[in-house]
Amino acid sequence: MNANKILSVVRREFVERVHSKAFVITTILVPVLLLIMAVAPMLLMGQSDHTARVAVVDGTSGPLAQQVVKVLRAQKIGTGATAKPRYEITLVPAQGKADSVREQLVDETGFSRASHKGKYDGVLELTADTLSSGKLTYYGSNVSSIKAMAMLQSELSKAFASVRLTQAGISLDTVGKAMRPANLSARRVSEGKLTGQSGSSAFAVAYGMGFLLYIAIISFGARTMTSVIEEKTSRVMEVLVSSLTPFQMLMGKVLGVGSAGLLQMAIWGVSALLISTQASHLAGLFGISQSTLAMLSMLSISGSMVVVFLLYFILGFLLFGALYAAVGSMCNSTQETQQYATVVTVLILIGFLSMFGTIANPTGTLANVMSWIPFFSPFVMPVRWALTSVSSVNLAGSLVLLVIGMWCCVWLAARIYHTGILMFGKKPSWRELWRWIRVS
Amino acid sequence: MATPNVRMEHVTKRFSGHTAVDDMSIEVPSGGIFGLLGPNGAGKSTAIRLIMGILMPDAGKVDLFSTGKHGRHLSERVGYLPEERGLYKKMPVLDHLIFLGQTRGLSRADGRRQGQAWLERLGVADWADKKVEDLSKGMQQKVQFAGAMLHDPELLILDEPFSGLDPVNAQVMKDTVVELAHKGHTIIFSTHVMEQAERMCDRIVIMAKGRKVVDGPLAQVKAESGKRHVALDFSGSRELASGVLADRSLVASVDDFGASAEIELASGADPGRLLSALVACGTGLSRFQVVEPSLQSIFIAKVGAEAAHAARVEVAA
Repeated sequence: MNANKILSVVRREFVERVHSKAFVITTILVPVLLLIMAVAPMLLMGQSDHTARVAVVDGTSGPLAQQVVKVLRAQKIGTGATAKPRYEITLVPAQGKADSVREQLVDETGFSRASHKGKYDGVLELTADTLSSGKLTYYGSNVSSIKAMAMLQSELSKAFASVRLTQAGISLDTVGKAMRPANLSARRVSEGKLTGQSGSSAFAVAYGMGFLLYIAIISFGARTMTSVIEEKTSRVMEVLVSSLTPFQMLMGKVLGVGSAGLLQMAIWGVSALLISTQASHLAGLFGISQSTLAMLSMLSISGSMVVVFLLYFILGFLLFGALYAAVGSMCNSTQETQQYATVVTVLILIGFLSMFGTIANPTGTLANVMSWIPFFSPFVMPVRWALTSVSSVNLAGSLVLLVIGMWCCVWLAARIYHTGILMFGKKPSWRELWRWIRVS
Repeated sequence: MATPNVRMEHVTKRFSGHTAVDDMSIEVPSGGIFGLLGPNGAGKSTAIRLIMGILMPDAGKVDLFSTGKHGRHLSERVGYLPEERGLYKKMPVLDHLIFLGQTRGLSRADGRRQGQAWLERLGVADWADKKVEDLSKGMQQKVQFAGAMLHDPELLILDEPFSGLDPVNAQVMKDTVVELAHKGHTIIFSTHVMEQAERMCDRIVIMAKGRKVVDGPLAQVKAESGKRHVALDFSGSRELASGVLADRSLVASVDDFGASAEIELASGADPGRLLSALVACGTGLSRFQVVEPSLQSIFIAKVGAEAAHAARVEVAA
């Protein structure tokens, strides 16, 4: 009987939430934003990745210019059949008259490709002492792109090194072997097992989860509060209170709002997953080259992580939802809630901020301490779980404390609720609040 | 008397500053219509909330159906219409009724069936799928009324059920209440409109300032008042009768309504003498009837003219 009544309240809350305009709009809007956020950088990157026409002014006397041209011509945009050259090189010999040649070429630089054929995007000037000093100048329209410049500099360094090494008498073959770069790939290990996540993926997941928890708890928590106030002002409360206990009303409300929140997050989660797994299709759809997809590292989320996330979300939401509901029961308008709601919000903020500390140092003291405290562990623990290995004892302990903390908050909230929901006068002072808790 | 449906024993409820219900004891027998009367602020709603278990007494105890429990724990057997009406505005009417039924222990299917039946009975079936906020105030009241009776409770508690209703709706509501009483349900309703209570109630309790001042079956209350009253309707000039009405050897008090009046005869006065005096003074009469005192006059006598006047102003407003 008891459970049935709670269920009927849960159902009502859930249906009302899910039917509300705000819910429908945010549920649709967030995946659309995700899509834009995923596609926009790809589009932007795709645009900057076109072949650059570079004139190399050769003011040297040695083999340097040849080597530079060779290295740059070897650079491709993309891989496989669709790959195109990154640079279109024109070598202009200019021994002794480098300045005048360069000035002439610079005059022809910086025009758009479509309207001015045969002109240049950039001029690279190699002078006589470039090889020894390493100094050279690039004049171009794309110098503000840090990425393009870094790439150019790194390729030029390779060319310089190989010329210097051959001049020092080392065979080209040896130089080639020596210059082969290191290729580091990072894999996360948890409790002796490979998780299949790359380092950056774990980081993205931790960040994403932290934000999701914060947004969900604060927005749905606040909705619990306003819906209690609505019940008070519309006087539905008195009918409810004649057949339901405060505990049934409180639990039903928090669970109902919470399950609407879960549904919304599930929709968001599935669409995020779809976007990341269907990235190649999306890329095709928007005419983006495959190579830029490498940036969208697949967000691989393990089953255990989903479980941990859900556990902490549900318990955390029950805790804060109950507190918010209690605040709502004490007040008659949202304006009045400020004083008490701030206390709850500050608790959430502390948890949220310590999440950043946890991301920076997942094994540090802050992360460790915070993951034991019920108010903060919902934010800190899932992030720690995503970033580093957490012992089962630690996880279980933190969960047990969270459950105890949650029950204390629900109990406290139910007592405040009991008196608060039928109070229509001015809001209580802290001292009166304490009396409510003791008396009811 | 069989076991009472509701028993309050020396119940006191204080709020900061004043005592809303003061050492009140009542017994509501099973079956019939029980009126809880009193001027505004007499403590009627507080008494009802105590019976429902929404408020806890500071002293004394409330017992429903001799189970030792109050309304909330027996919500399957008790229906309640609070004075402050309120519904979820965004909810469709029928869904709302189903929800209310569920909180009172009905299954969804039963809630739906009963909800539809009641909406039809109260003439708002066409609005079943509309949102509550789209309904007029009167219709919302009917929906709330249906919500209180959905689960066919043995005991129905209505706090000011007729306030804010137009005459047609009030009639529908009254008929429904009377019909339920005939079927053996017990109905407690509070009101400050004496005429209504007089026509409907089997038993009454009159409260004033948190205390019970009158308690008993309506007929007995009237008989015990020990007074003889005469009801007059004037057809001619009312002024001509003023001299007779002021005669203290005939008339103890007058409750003057203008075109009509209720007169309390002075002790030992003969109704026949009053009639001949009235005829002699030349005022036209369309009615002269020796009656039991009206509840209104008992109310005034017990509660005081001031409170009664306040109640009358309320009615007029």
